[in-house]
Amino acid sequence: MTPFAIDKPAILERLGGDEDIYLMMLDVFLQDIDNNCAAIEAAAASGDPVRLQREAHTLKSLFATVSDDAGSAEALVLERRAKEGRVDGAVDAAAHLVERLRDVAVVLERELGR
Amino acid sequence: MHQVLIIDDSDINLTLIKALVLKLGDCEPVLFENPVKALAWCRDHEPDLVIVDYMMPDMDGLKFIAAFRALHGRDELPVLMITANDQKDIRYEALLGGANDFLTKPIDRVEFSARVRNMLSLRVGQKFLADRAAYLAEMVDERTREIRERERELIFRISRAAEFRDPETGAHIQRMAHYSLIIARGLGLDDEKCKLILQAAPMHDVGKIGIPDYILLKPGRLNPEEFEVMKRHAVIGHELLKDSGSEIMQAGAEVALTHHEKYDGSGYPKGLKGTAIPLFGRIVAVADVFDALTSERPYKKAWSLDDACRLLEEGRGRHFDPLCVEAFLAGWEDVLDIRQQFRDEEIPDI
Repeated sequence: MTPFAIDKPAILERLGGDEDIYLMMLDVFLQDIDNNCAAIEAAAASGDPVRLQREAHTLKSLFATVSDDAGSAEALVLERRAKEGRVDGAVDAAAHLVERLRDVAVVLERELGR
Repeated sequence: MHQVLIIDDSDINLTLIKALVLKLGDCEPVLFENPVKALAWCRDHEPDLVIVDYMMPDMDGLKFIAAFRALHGRDELPVLMITANDQKDIRYEALLGGANDFLTKPIDRVEFSARVRNMLSLRVGQKFLADRAAYLAEMVDERTREIRERERELIFRISRAAEFRDPETGAHIQRMAHYSLIIARGLGLDDEKCKLILQAAPMHDVGKIGIPDYILLKPGRLNPEEFEVMKRHAVIGHELLKDSGSEIMQAGAEVALTHHEKYDGSGYPKGLKGTAIPLFGRIVAVADVFDALTSERPYKKAWSLDDACRLLEEGRGRHFDPLCVEAFLAGWEDVLDIRQQFRDEEIPDI
């Protein structure tokens, strides 16, 4: 997967150029990151395809919010597999997504000057 | 201020949508992460717009919309469903299942603002129509009350007009109308019917308008020919009132025509028998005769209450419907009150 680079103009365009909402959104992303990582790992470990589908869906949306198309696409693959009831390889796939979330978080932290 | 209910299990979406809603102005966002709790809130609150995510634990957006629409009075409130770009089938299902429109994630502010404004405009239109309908209903009620009041006044004046040509007094029509009410209540008639007979009974003798003065005002006993003419007042009263669109006038027509019928079939004008005589006619017959007997007139003294009661008792099943007599006597305390309330020397207010 290509390394994450924040596309601020694209995000701002979606937010109507509102810098305040942009910063607030990044902040909430970072606040929730531990919960989101734990949720996808637990869903993968549970072997419950419905739960896995839901958590993968949430990550897909989360990546899309910060315009991470690659991360969103990978989450979509896991979501679709789970929807078909396939949970094989889910733990590895979830670990991949967690890694991606952490990478994104590093970039966002930098963007916020932390 | 528009109340916008936002339901999304994702903090980032909840925060983002809240911020965008606040940026619209004149909006108060209400946030829920849990759709079940949001639904409980909706039982007691009526938001102007609902924005709901599709994929949530416990209850997905489609189920939420179905449950929300099933709540009383929530079938037309605007609902926006949020779905991912790749969920075309869910969007169709949402639109068919009661969502008014949808938004795709990631949320685009321009699209979001336009769709939310459209939904809120729809809500404003709905409220305007509802308010207008309520206002018009109130106006109709007020006008109807005025018409009914005028109708009541007109009936009383018509009844008084007939009484002015008769030795009877204004107090007589008030007393016999209230006696009729006592009987109607005693028979267990509903409130509407009781009110109707109270208003219709005063018209029982309105047909006397058509009786020549030399008969109507004759101080002595009427000869058979004169009595035949006098008997026509029942039919004349009926003719005067029968074609009215007013329920009260129609009841008055029935009372005018039948209040001289007798339970054993010996009355007039048709010689109806038993329950073939309309109930209002049977009721008014008791009330009218009792008041006529117990009132003093230029040509007769008032009967005592005991004598009048005895006549009613003796007339059970002959002149009067036994049940009407029973109901009248059962309300004796009220009868005495009515006699006190409407004395002959008092001119009732019109």
